[in-house]
Amino acid sequence: MVTRILATLFIWNFWATSLSLAQESPQQRLVDFSCVACLPADALVQLSRQTGINISFNTAFFQDCAPISIAARQESFGLVLEKIADCAQLSYKWGSNQVVLYRKIQKNTLSGYVKDAETGERLIGATIRVLPGASIGATSNEFGFYSLSLETGGYRISASYVGYRQEVRAIELDADRMLVFALQPSSALPEVVVTALPTAEVKGGGPHSGQNLPLSTMRNLPMPGGEADVLRLAALQPGVQTGVDGLGGLHIRGGNADQNLILLDDVPVYNPSHALGLFSVFNPATVSNVRLWKGDFPARYSGRASSVLDIRTRDGNLREYHGEVSAGLFAASVTLEGPLKRDTSSFLFSSRTTYFGPWIQFFSKRGNLLTFSGDDIAYRFFDANLKLSHAFSNKNRLYFSYYQGGDAFQNQFVQRFDNEEGILTDQYTLSSEWGNAIAALRWNYLLRSNLFTNTTLRFSRFFYQSRLTLLSNFLTATGKENLLANYGQFYQTLIQDWSGKTDFTYYPINRLVLRWGISYTLHTFQPGALSVNFLVPGQSPLTIDSLSKVLLNNERLGADEAEMYAEGDWRFWRNWYLEAGVNLSTFQIRNSVFRVPQPRLRLLNSSPNGFRTWVGYHRMAQYLHQIGSFNISLPFELWVPSTARVQPELAWQVSAGLGLRRSGWNIQLEGYYKRLDRVLTFLSSSTALFAGGAEDASGWEDRILTGEGKASGVEFVLEKRTRSTAAALVYTWSNAERYFPDLNSGRPFPFRFDRRHDLKITVQQRLFKWLDANMIWAYATGNPITLSGIKFQHHTPNGDIERNVFVYTEVNGYRLPAYHRLDVSLNAHFGRKNIQHELQLGVYNAYNRANPFFLYVDGSSGGTARAIQYTLLPLLPSLRYALKF
Amino acid sequence: MKFKYPLLIVACALLLSIRCAREVPIDLPEQPTRIVAISHFTNGEPIQVELSLSQSLLDVGDPVYPEDPDITISVKGTFAGRLLQMTDDGGRTYWQTRDAAVLGTEYSLTVRIGGLETAEAASTVPVPVAVAGVLADTNQVRVIDLADGKLALRVPLRITLADLPVGNRFFAFGLRHEIEIFELINGERVPDEYYEADTKFLADGRTLTLVYDTPEKVVLVNENFWSNGQNTLTLDAIVPFDPTYERPSRIFVELRTLSEEFYRYHLSLARQGNNLPLNDPDALYNNVSGGYGNFSGYSRSTDTIAIPNVF
Repeated sequence: MVTRILATLFIWNFWATSLSLAQESPQQRLVDFSCVACLPADALVQLSRQTGINISFNTAFFQDCAPISIAARQESFGLVLEKIADCAQLSYKWGSNQVVLYRKIQKNTLSGYVKDAETGERLIGATIRVLPGASIGATSNEFGFYSLSLETGGYRISASYVGYRQEVRAIELDADRMLVFALQPSSALPEVVVTALPTAEVKGGGPHSGQNLPLSTMRNLPMPGGEADVLRLAALQPGVQTGVDGLGGLHIRGGNADQNLILLDDVPVYNPSHALGLFSVFNPATVSNVRLWKGDFPARYSGRASSVLDIRTRDGNLREYHGEVSAGLFAASVTLEGPLKRDTSSFLFSSRTTYFGPWIQFFSKRGNLLTFSGDDIAYRFFDANLKLSHAFSNKNRLYFSYYQGGDAFQNQFVQRFDNEEGILTDQYTLSSEWGNAIAALRWNYLLRSNLFTNTTLRFSRFFYQSRLTLLSNFLTATGKENLLANYGQFYQTLIQDWSGKTDFTYYPINRLVLRWGISYTLHTFQPGALSVNFLVPGQSPLTIDSLSKVLLNNERLGADEAEMYAEGDWRFWRNWYLEAGVNLSTFQIRNSVFRVPQPRLRLLNSSPNGFRTWVGYHRMAQYLHQIGSFNISLPFELWVPSTARVQPELAWQVSAGLGLRRSGWNIQLEGYYKRLDRVLTFLSSSTALFAGGAEDASGWEDRILTGEGKASGVEFVLEKRTRSTAAALVYTWSNAERYFPDLNSGRPFPFRFDRRHDLKITVQQRLFKWLDANMIWAYATGNPITLSGIKFQHHTPNGDIERNVFVYTEVNGYRLPAYHRLDVSLNAHFGRKNIQHELQLGVYNAYNRANPFFLYVDGSSGGTARAIQYTLLPLLPSLRYALKF
Repeated sequence: MKFKYPLLIVACALLLSIRCAREVPIDLPEQPTRIVAISHFTNGEPIQVELSLSQSLLDVGDPVYPEDPDITISVKGTFAGRLLQMTDDGGRTYWQTRDAAVLGTEYSLTVRIGGLETAEAASTVPVPVAVAGVLADTNQVRVIDLADGKLALRVPLRITLADLPVGNRFFAFGLRHEIEIFELINGERVPDEYYEADTKFLADGRTLTLVYDTPEKVVLVNENFWSNGQNTLTLDAIVPFDPTYERPSRIFVELRTLSEEFYRYHLSLARQGNNLPLNDPDALYNNVSGGYGNFSGYSRSTDTIAIPNVF
């Protein structure tokens, strides 16, 4: 009964509602209406009065409409309305006794590129804003591309970039349109050394974590030999540390040097340094943009556990031929660039070489740094960069990048031992070469005005090889010469990648940027081999070629790595931004397959008054590892893959921070906590030479120890910039630990680059328009080392070897003295437009602080015990001249 | 121009002050002097202990050997005896138990010296892992010419363990060889006397990177060597001799099953890197509480291989 009543009520209610709507809807109501040569707006007012139906509209809709004449009898109200408003092409929203006229909004895509007006180079990270209010905006991507979604109408669009004059263009937008901004360089003071905050300053285009390193500053800063250096610039950022004076690689937030993904034009660089870390392989004349993520990197990056340093090279001038020749105390370089076809194709070639060898001889002899050094010691490095670009159209562009660089070290020395029976002569010859070869072919294609694609074919190769030979002759007292030994070693490590990837960037609305992509990499590893041989008189002499044949038989390992990712930068509410993504990677070697999903999440609030807060969670995986026996990162360390026994390294990091940027001030405070799982360390073999045998890397998996690590820290940045002064104070408090069950008796111990306090102060002062002065003062807690204070002799009854045993009670339990130094430089810029001169005069380590590179306690020589501290770089004057034409 | 020369002098002085290496006073980790007890013992032999005192790293003299220590052994907490003072052929003093050690028994060592902290340690002689066989491939024995007119035999050896334990794969091996000295009498080689010497060896790269020299007469094998079902140690023994009056006769192969204390101590010694700069030494494994050193048991088995006469 109740159901029946409810059904009846429902049907009645539905009928009544329908009837009511039919009666009240004005659209079908029949009306009589006439009007001669009247304006549409007036006609609408008249129609409303006549029918009593409220008509809402904006008179501006009919500004361009001509007078109309209508004579309608018993026609529907809707039809009459359409006749009156026909010229304005409006839409209608009907109410019970009213109708609202509105213009249907048409969204158009404004897209294009931002480039340097003089060179045609595309600018990465430029800001595009819609004026006034700047409430809509975007940031140009890695290829200078941007995209905005705007309603039909007129706009003033501005484009700005640090070091360039802002450009404002007025446009009428009634369809999708491409707009290219060409910005003029300005002569303002270079950027502040630290640009720590996320770069997105516009309310659109996503929060964009990471920080752009100020390259214009880099060339002015005092650096060893006057050589501008990307890695040294990165080391000025908070949370970034190096070994002593740059040796030992970058260590970011307690991570190992091999946990940094260093990309050159999107290609991984396995050895980023020359001269064991004194200089980076990145020729500053070729670099256009450097971006650093300290563990909070987006999902499109993967493969390393700690950080990403994304370095992009310049394309070359599309309009004019230019060049640069520079020479410093350590190196000289030449750069040529210009159009192959004006505004369409360009080239850039740069080469750099060094004359560092005499300096090594000087320092090694003064400090006995290389105790084996003899009369013949030589070292050199070189770099060569080539970049070609060609624009088929505004939507279609091709790039080719190539880098080749290497180091070579040679040392020959002779030892003589005289006694009554004759003279023993040992002649050692050591030669080592190492270097990278990198190539990338990239194709940009604009699929739609808001869908950008980039496809890249990549090649990267790093090799290290060394040869050591020993000829041992004994000249008897009777004048007879005997060849006692002819001994040789050949060592090589190699890693080589072939890969391809495709990336998509989609700008569906102004508040959202979506990226996704896939990639595949074929890795080849040759972990290394050391061959030892003895030959005797009567047999053919040992040659390196014969050893090379042994090496070539060494096992090469292949591995496949594939990944796909998707990420989004989304302004989801007012000033709130979300950067979220996931990277799914697969690594296959032999019969082992690893799959690690890596979610990345970052939430940011950026208020208009310059105050920001952010929090993030990022998870990373690493399948490639560099392992070595020494406590600094050296080029002959092996690159090895994850295997069934050496599982991938995993890391996660949470970070949170706040910052304020206002009136030339930039203040930032950020904290982080990071966990590293399955970090590796490598045990050297100690008896290979004792056994007189051969060592190769076939047992490397058995010599790896797996452990854990954790790091936490607080980073503080204070920057101030005026018209003539830029100053920055960067302080980091951090704590980094490692734990290996098989080391330090199972107790945790400090990471070898753990530094509790790290302070960097940088000041740039413009003295005159043509002259500026720069200063860096750096202070850091001393590195921890393992040091013994106690020894005893191991001797068992009936044992036949007596050995000094050093009681190392704690791994890395001792701290070296604090590190600090002052660098100063003066930079002069003068010349005319076509020929410009740069002169830098500087001093590195101005007060000649003897910073400890390592400490060695020699308790066994000559009846005296002593502690010897080795310093790498004492006071170093620098002089560099560059001629630009 | 007036201040040009003083500036030049200052610059030159600064450059001359550049030193890359210099002796520095450092505060080494302070540790009090402690008893050092070293003892590796096996079943069937008395436990022998050598004592000394630890030194500061900067001390260059010989270590101090305590003259009147109180050294006792206990088994399962029960006093088992006081060690006796002995002197070896070289005049060095050590202390020894009256009784031989027994397999599987845990022994505790206590050393007391007036004014120093008491040192205590414990270990056991482990049950030996059976050796399935020690084989010499006599067909592959090769003769190598050495520079001084001598020769060397290269003898392939295979040491196979019968039952590889799941854990505690702590082993060491030792190689010695015997050389027969002969006289030529009427053109015939007549054995005169014999001598023994340590035997060097060659092996594949993986093996060589996973074995470590020790101050003892054995070579330590990293426990990772026995991964992936590996139960055989393959070596080439190198036996040098003078063919004019010598002939290699036998190779003695010793395989030790080690207690964990023995293994960890010598592994940590191997990871010390000889105190060289830029090395990453590991902390010393120390099972002597209140002191330093190592008190550890091991068991051993030996095999003898007759070297074929290749001449």
